[in-house]
Amino acid sequence: MKYFKLPDLGEGLPEAEIVTWHVQCGDTVKTDQLMVSVETAKAIVEIPSPQNGIIQTLFGAEGDIIHTGEPLVEFAGEAQHDSGTVVGEVKTPQHATVSDDHFIIGSGAGATSAYKRCTPAVRALARRLDIDLELVKSSGEHGLITFEDVEHAQNLRESKGEQIKLRGVRRSMAKNMAKAQEQVVQVTIYDDADLHNWADDNDPTMRLVRAIATACTLEPFLNAWYDGKAMALRPLKTIDLGIAVDTADGLFVPVLRDIGNRHSNDLRKGLDQLRTDVKNRTIPPSELINPSITLSNYGTIAGRYASPVVMPPTVCIVGAGAIREEVVVAKHEPTVHKIMPLSLSFDHRPITGGEAARFLKRLIDDLESAQ
Amino acid sequence: MPSNAPLELTMIEAVNLAMAHEMRLDKNVVILGEDVGINGGVFRATDGLQSEFGIRRVMDTPLAESLIAGISVGMASQGLKPIAEIQFMGFVFAAMEHIVCHAARLRNRTRGRLTCPMVLRAPYGGGIHAPEHHSESTEALFAHIPGLRVVIPSSPLRAYGLLLGAIRDPDPVIFLEPKRIYRATKQTVRDNGEALPLDICFTLREGSDITLISWGAMIPETLSAADKLIESGIHAEVIDIATIKPLDIDTILTSIKKTGRCVIIHEAARSGGVGAEISAQIAERALLHLHAPIKRITGYDTVMPYYRNEHHYLPNAEDIFLAATDCYNYK
Repeated sequence: MKYFKLPDLGEGLPEAEIVTWHVQCGDTVKTDQLMVSVETAKAIVEIPSPQNGIIQTLFGAEGDIIHTGEPLVEFAGEAQHDSGTVVGEVKTPQHATVSDDHFIIGSGAGATSAYKRCTPAVRALARRLDIDLELVKSSGEHGLITFEDVEHAQNLRESKGEQIKLRGVRRSMAKNMAKAQEQVVQVTIYDDADLHNWADDNDPTMRLVRAIATACTLEPFLNAWYDGKAMALRPLKTIDLGIAVDTADGLFVPVLRDIGNRHSNDLRKGLDQLRTDVKNRTIPPSELINPSITLSNYGTIAGRYASPVVMPPTVCIVGAGAIREEVVVAKHEPTVHKIMPLSLSFDHRPITGGEAARFLKRLIDDLESAQ
Repeated sequence: MPSNAPLELTMIEAVNLAMAHEMRLDKNVVILGEDVGINGGVFRATDGLQSEFGIRRVMDTPLAESLIAGISVGMASQGLKPIAEIQFMGFVFAAMEHIVCHAARLRNRTRGRLTCPMVLRAPYGGGIHAPEHHSESTEALFAHIPGLRVVIPSSPLRAYGLLLGAIRDPDPVIFLEPKRIYRATKQTVRDNGEALPLDICFTLREGSDITLISWGAMIPETLSAADKLIESGIHAEVIDIATIKPLDIDTILTSIKKTGRCVIIHEAARSGGVGAEISAQIAERALLHLHAPIKRITGYDTVMPYYRNEHHYLPNAEDIFLAATDCYNYK
């Protein structure tokens, strides 16, 4: 016997309360040795052990109510194992083979049809023509792909060329951009910074990094994450700048950490390292997540103003266009200065136009300073 | 509290626990069968029950299956809830007349005035080196009869929950226990009296590449095939049919629409097996989602071999793994 259950104590009483255990786990007991005293509604009853053995488990503590038939004591080992059977042999393997403790009643949540529907003949045709059915537009009822659909896809391929399925970084860009478009209420404001005060060896990228750090410190709401569902804004303690990097594979945004507290040489080295890692595709995923604000420096290629896309949960992105020489009026005289065009997109759900404009003003002020 | 104490139980102990629970709860539940009383059942399913509940509720019968089934129908029609044990499924044929012609029809015959809330338990299937008539899997015979519910557990947890559900069901349930796994594994079971729903499948593993459909003693084989498939990068969904009649086709179709591929595994002979019915319904209702022909891994259309050869007959994890790999790679 493995489990000793509370026996019917002879009075038709359905339950008893444990008064005192006379044995402990690990004790060796003999048949008829006193194990436990229980109290029924009528009397205290002493319950002896039904067998020799070692106690493995006591079910219930003193004061607990045990119902008739519930286990009271578990004996260790399988010494008196009785698997019955007059014919055959029911085996107990030494080791349980597979785990099967958790299961779902019915189907799992969110099981949806993953594939497009079509008749086996259409599937065979697509296979023969090497056409990916997932890319075929369906014209049949309830999205059924017909012979004509497959033939149409084949004709399109021959006349217009192959369709390329997005993969990897480009694929996640497509997803993220669509998500941003769906969630963010975006406004972009444009302005210029006059770089006339710059020394010749000023590094535009590092100046931008510093200016963003300064602007964030003065307008902390722009360096924040916004949870649209909870309608909660989290202004962030450190400034982690995501920097958009263009590659043949797609858009990468490595993150330059804590730009508010690091020296510019250190930042320059860090940025160069990130760019090299992106180029070699050796950048660890941890360096690509959780920016607090983003810079798109597209001006190094071309472009004056843009409407860069705010990526939730961040609330703004700075776009820097190509630096150009422009005739400006200074001290009532026309003169030629270097000009950097700036575009600031922000999420107008949590951020006011005033905050964004002030942020842009701080950015310009810092960029226009001599050092 | 003690009543919820977790117990490490085998399937046979879980069966015992469920019956004991319900007998304490409901005075109308009685047990009858060969050697179920003093002996505690040939596999010890009813161990200790006669000493707890007495000879009026746990009855040893003569060696007469026709009598066991007939008395059960009579008891059930008059308000008791008999649990009849047929010692081995191979001996059930003497009882078929009562099961098919009376138990299954009582509700319909009396226009709902009488029901037949009986459970007929029988150990079934091979793999224990037993002689002739002790190893068959004839669940399809019962599944074919309108009015019968056929339930098959595949683990201690599900045996406990499904047997409670079967006893509480107001209509006759054929409860077939895969005896090969009676003591194969232990699971943590709580004697909380919670029944599992009948007439619904259980999803044991979620996966998106292929659906493996099985029941009874083939479930451990299927699960270990699924574990091996993961090493090849194939994520199998494993469905335990559990109630083979009526069939929960919705759960099956939902999975097929997700994976597009399936293998059905049963120990019973191939022709006219429950796998054929499942296969037909998938073809009728989800053909356009299939990426590969449906495959069946089953026993053979032969008499169940004597024990030295039974391992040739029984499908195993390797057979299932190969079939699933084939099906997944179908071009």
